[in-house]
Amino acid sequence: MTTRRQFFGYAGAAAAGAAATGGAVVALDNDTAEAPVSRTISPYGEHQAGIARAAPAVAELVSFKLGTDRAGLGRLMRLWTSDIIALADGRAAPGDTAPELAVANKSLTVTVGFGPRVFELTGQRPPGLDDLPVMKHDRLQPAWSGGDLLVMVGADDAVSVVHAVRRLIADAKPFATPIWRQTGFWDSTGPDGKPVTGRNLFGQVDGTGNPAFGTPEFDQTVWSADGPDWFRGGTTLVVRRIRLNLDTWDELTRSEQERAVGRKLSTGAPLTGTAEHDELDLEARDADGRPVIAQNAHARLSHHSENDGRRIFRKGLNYVHDTGATRESGLIFLSHQADVAGQFLPLLARLDAVDALNEWTTTIGSAVFALPPGFQPGEWLGQKLLT
Amino acid sequence: MKTKLLAAAAVVTFLVSSCGSTEKPAAQVAAVTTPGVLVEDAWVRATTGAKDTTMTAAFLSLTNPGDTDVKLTSATSPVAGVVQLHEMAMQDGKMVMREKSGGITVPAASHAHLSPGGDHIMLMSLKRPLNPGDEVPLTLKFSDNTTHDLKVPVKAFTEEEEHYHTK
Repeated sequence: MTTRRQFFGYAGAAAAGAAATGGAVVALDNDTAEAPVSRTISPYGEHQAGIARAAPAVAELVSFKLGTDRAGLGRLMRLWTSDIIALADGRAAPGDTAPELAVANKSLTVTVGFGPRVFELTGQRPPGLDDLPVMKHDRLQPAWSGGDLLVMVGADDAVSVVHAVRRLIADAKPFATPIWRQTGFWDSTGPDGKPVTGRNLFGQVDGTGNPAFGTPEFDQTVWSADGPDWFRGGTTLVVRRIRLNLDTWDELTRSEQERAVGRKLSTGAPLTGTAEHDELDLEARDADGRPVIAQNAHARLSHHSENDGRRIFRKGLNYVHDTGATRESGLIFLSHQADVAGQFLPLLARLDAVDALNEWTTTIGSAVFALPPGFQPGEWLGQKLLT
Repeated sequence: MKTKLLAAAAVVTFLVSSCGSTEKPAAQVAAVTTPGVLVEDAWVRATTGAKDTTMTAAFLSLTNPGDTDVKLTSATSPVAGVVQLHEMAMQDGKMVMREKSGGITVPAASHAHLSPGGDHIMLMSLKRPLNPGDEVPLTLKFSDNTTHDLKVPVKAFTEEEEHYHTK
């Protein structure tokens, strides 16, 4: 969408066009006057702007405990909406104490979600939106779990992310208090500059099975169509903080690592194929008659054909958490689906029961949120729920 | 250029006026031949912690997509007994705050930024303290006879505080 900003700009955003050349356009030849590519993502739309796109290079998630009533939540949503519009545009949010840190062309998105307790204030709970039951392999820590309100900021650059988060937390102070914060990173750009699926810290290509953007499968998987009217165009988000035991993973041979997932490390192709997006051949057997993709391989267990067609749209953010010289590594697992109980929970239960990867992964945090639909100019986030 | 400006005005982003009389779907705005001033990023500074909790200021950004200058001529709010348009100016070698006679001009095809340390809307004789998280109704009147009814968030802020304590 072309906004008025692109014609008028602010004095503070005047350098935005020039700054864009630092990103997608690599101008090796200074004589070539290439038009700068805008990496500004419009905050407006039927859906919140950060959802139907690849994981951001840098992201921070903040979960809040709500300390206000329904009317207060409405004021916060109006406040955040105007902050989000300004930040996405690369200008300072109203009242910003460090306005120079608001920079344009950083692919900045802000995604907001409501935890299950919000619907005790508002009613109209999306069906299936409940905290997940604790799984057998879970070692959940309260410090990484739950929350009434989620804000997730993503951008090309960490400075923009932490600045936006700081502003959003400051403005939320009268209404809500952070209870956990998680920062992650993802590389979804190949060496040739083209989009790739990206890899987790095990080295696996992670997210191949996702429905493709803009397809009916994607829309049916992600966007709510059957829930309450206010939630039409919304989605749910499951956030799982998964600790990866890199030490024991590194003790495996490559073929052991590949068997656990059912995919090749080099390309992400299924063990029965040659290219990343080749369909899995779940019937294929090796010379000894064993399935090529093992019965407990992650790719088999999570495949939609093995789950009554249930799908999710998942993203990952790698994380590291340092305490002195000790590093914990892991994955912030993000799963979008129209209905948590209908789509995600059966899959989770199945993986928890038998997934080979469970040996090297431990979920230490879990939270569930309903992400309201997007907003258009003149509207605000969650308006239909809160008015 | 004018066509471009009008086209741009059709997709304006004025959230702050969402509750006001100027709220219109984009398509309706496009039908207006002389688009009024657009209001964005409005906020009011909280009085929490201030020495004088009977006055504060409102800040916002005004954009004039038209080809003639427009002035912000006055503002009113039910939370304040007196509302004035103020400027910061050098007087006898000292920066002082004073009423801006004639209002605040929003130049054609340009902006006026009301911000701390610059032009602002002064809310005086406040009827109650304003806390972060509150919302304050504010009505702006412009020289082209348009009116904007806003619902403005109250935010905490400390910079420039001394300006609003000196008369």
